[in-house]
Amino acid sequence: MIGTSVDHYHILSRIGEGGMGIVYRAHDEVLNRDVALKVLTKGSLDKLGRDHLLGEARTASSLSHPNICTIHEVRKWNDEFYVVMEFIEGRPLRSLIGDSGLPTETVLRYGIQIADALAHAHDRAVVHRDLKSSNVMVTPDARVKVLDFGLAMSLRKEQLDDATRSVVDLGSGSELVGTLSYMAPEILQGQSGTYQSDIWAFGVLLYEAAAGKLPFLGHTGLEVGSAILHQAPPALPTHIPPGLISVVQRCLAKDLALRFQRASEVRAALEALQAASIVGREQRDAQVGPRTLYFRGVEHLDVKNGDVLVFAGTNKGLFIFRSSRERSRWQMAGPYFPGRAINAIAYDRRADRHRIWVSTSQFWGSYLQSSDDFGKSWTNPLEANVKFPQESGASLKSIWQICLGCTDDPDLMYCGVEPAALFKSTDSGESWSLVQGLFDHPHRPRWVPGNGGLCLHTIIPDAHNRDRMMVAISAAGNYRTDDGGQTWQAKNRGIRVVHMPEKFPEFGQCVHKVVTHPSHPDRMFLQNHWGLYRSDDAGDCWHDIAHGVPSDFGFAMLMHPHDPDCVYIVPVESDEFRCTPNGRLRVYRTRNAGGSWEPLTRGLPQTGAYETILRDSLATDSLDPAGVYFGTRSGKLYHSRDEGKTWALIRDGLPQIVCIRATAVNELGGFAGARSSKPARSSVKSKRKRQKKKTRN
Amino acid sequence: MAVIFHIPGPLLVFTHGQRRIEIDSSPINVAEALDCLCLQYPGIRDRILNEQGEIREHVNIFVGKDELRYLNGAATELNDGAEITIMQAVSGGLRGLAQLRHPERNSLAS
Repeated sequence: MIGTSVDHYHILSRIGEGGMGIVYRAHDEVLNRDVALKVLTKGSLDKLGRDHLLGEARTASSLSHPNICTIHEVRKWNDEFYVVMEFIEGRPLRSLIGDSGLPTETVLRYGIQIADALAHAHDRAVVHRDLKSSNVMVTPDARVKVLDFGLAMSLRKEQLDDATRSVVDLGSGSELVGTLSYMAPEILQGQSGTYQSDIWAFGVLLYEAAAGKLPFLGHTGLEVGSAILHQAPPALPTHIPPGLISVVQRCLAKDLALRFQRASEVRAALEALQAASIVGREQRDAQVGPRTLYFRGVEHLDVKNGDVLVFAGTNKGLFIFRSSRERSRWQMAGPYFPGRAINAIAYDRRADRHRIWVSTSQFWGSYLQSSDDFGKSWTNPLEANVKFPQESGASLKSIWQICLGCTDDPDLMYCGVEPAALFKSTDSGESWSLVQGLFDHPHRPRWVPGNGGLCLHTIIPDAHNRDRMMVAISAAGNYRTDDGGQTWQAKNRGIRVVHMPEKFPEFGQCVHKVVTHPSHPDRMFLQNHWGLYRSDDAGDCWHDIAHGVPSDFGFAMLMHPHDPDCVYIVPVESDEFRCTPNGRLRVYRTRNAGGSWEPLTRGLPQTGAYETILRDSLATDSLDPAGVYFGTRSGKLYHSRDEGKTWALIRDGLPQIVCIRATAVNELGGFAGARSSKPARSSVKSKRKRQKKKTRN
Repeated sequence: MAVIFHIPGPLLVFTHGQRRIEIDSSPINVAEALDCLCLQYPGIRDRILNEQGEIREHVNIFVGKDELRYLNGAATELNDGAEITIMQAVSGGLRGLAQLRHPERNSLAS
């Protein structure tokens, strides 16, 4: 049949053969997807049996559960019936169980999924009747899929008698005999299969997965049947926890009154064991819990209300600094994640959280990890939490930005990654999905990476318009959505490029940073790879504002937390010599929205300081007066507690600083990096004071 | 048939501290052995393979003394008792050189 078509299914290859028919991999030409197609063998069932089977298959097709192989339809073709099912990549559980069984954690993980599938089916009056390890598939991402729900034929008594009387060596693997090992005693006694017969079969499967062998063995069907009816299963190996042994025993109770009544009860018992095993392991082995990470030898910070924290992400780990509100003396903790690059940081204080988010990057991939206790413990995801779908053809290199949504949607998060793409989470970072509208942008094939790769590094959700967001990509430029991420438009008019023949192209700009104030979302400031710009119309047009800076090349840019006219930058000499001009470390500030810039140098070295400040290495807390912080590639962390007037070194000798965030603990507000969503009342006052002073002068 | 994996320090957190893991489900090649290992210890998969099923750029896998990219890639057949060592590259991995020699042998996706 391979190469032919059955209705609109094109047969691609043969997958396997069972008692009822042959299974093929086929392509559904209408819905353009691969499916599994089980063609029932002629004569495998009499008419009564076939009608019964088709009735059950139709019922089973109503099941929709992540751990159940979906039956799409049952059709008739040339007097033959066939069942169209979800095609599953993976391996049968049977082939994964070695001679000594699976680790308990794996047994519990798979067991819970199978029990959940059974509970779902039983609630809808569907009995499996042929649950066994070869009917359970495990996908490459460790998800279990139970096959053939409702497709198992009800064995007639004479078939059963044949099986139990058989003298065939069980090693021959006959389908019927394979099934026999999982058969409940009541079925062997001639009753029809019920929910509790499925629970028995599940008990056999759990036993097999834990011990590596079946509980009821024999050389003939008769011997196996006799063991099922009359013998207790051999004791499970001693390394298996008593709780799991007890669950298996209750599944394999010959007396129906003593057996679990419902699959949901089995699932709950396994979930309780799993929770207990995680807690037990973490208590026993606190340094190496797989899902929680602790760092030995780090003296953690004791954070109090009102403290100010500065997070410094370096190419070799995270350092956290704490000070009282005066911000004069700093205590350091770290390195957390020593040896890993920390490429993005966010501090989430929405919904009463105190959650630090970092992106960690190393030989072993890039992950988002978080701490709710100021670094004492960190999440350690088993699977990469930010992942490109396989069909995208892309694979994650690094996560360069973590952006929190507004306070009124405390579970919303975004992250920007390399290769350039945007991911979104609506469940506080538990799961992430690719924003497909941007990934599918027709410009994307023509985006060219800059020196730092092709990365999406800036994410600016509009504080007043939920459907609008700006992102910046190096070296593709700015893209804005006005429809919640469905479509994106390049927003680079007026931004000059030096690395292309066309000086003002639609896209291709190497934008280094964009900032805006939540109270003025349409006004944006931009530090380009050569060029300083402002837009007053949410990025539709950009205007040059490089008046009075020693160089309009630079990376970092920072918006004042309370004053929407105030922006900080640290210019560097050129793209060839990416160091502060003339060996003078100068932060520049505008307080009139780019009309003019002033150097801020008091306390900063003005000779021999050839420093580079990367795009996310400028930060502010949201106190009044605001603290301003920056880190250098040479590992120096500076701060100013008077908005840039004077500077002091917090720490020297750190690894290369990649990103900085600062926050005051327990204050209200919303955006990543401790930016408040509205100008604070006190800050409006202080701005008035500043303006008065200016007028006097 | 059993094969043995040697796990590097940074991944021990996912194997409950076990440096040596025996896979006794008779894998015929490296792809099958890795499948079994990753199913038993799910934290491992994403640390050594990217979304496309390719070995990460700075991760090297040896069968005996030979790096996988110089053998038959994921299809490298295994004998009973084969020892597979997962290591992080000293710097830059072996990919550049290996790709020149065996450009088709870097993917485990196929």
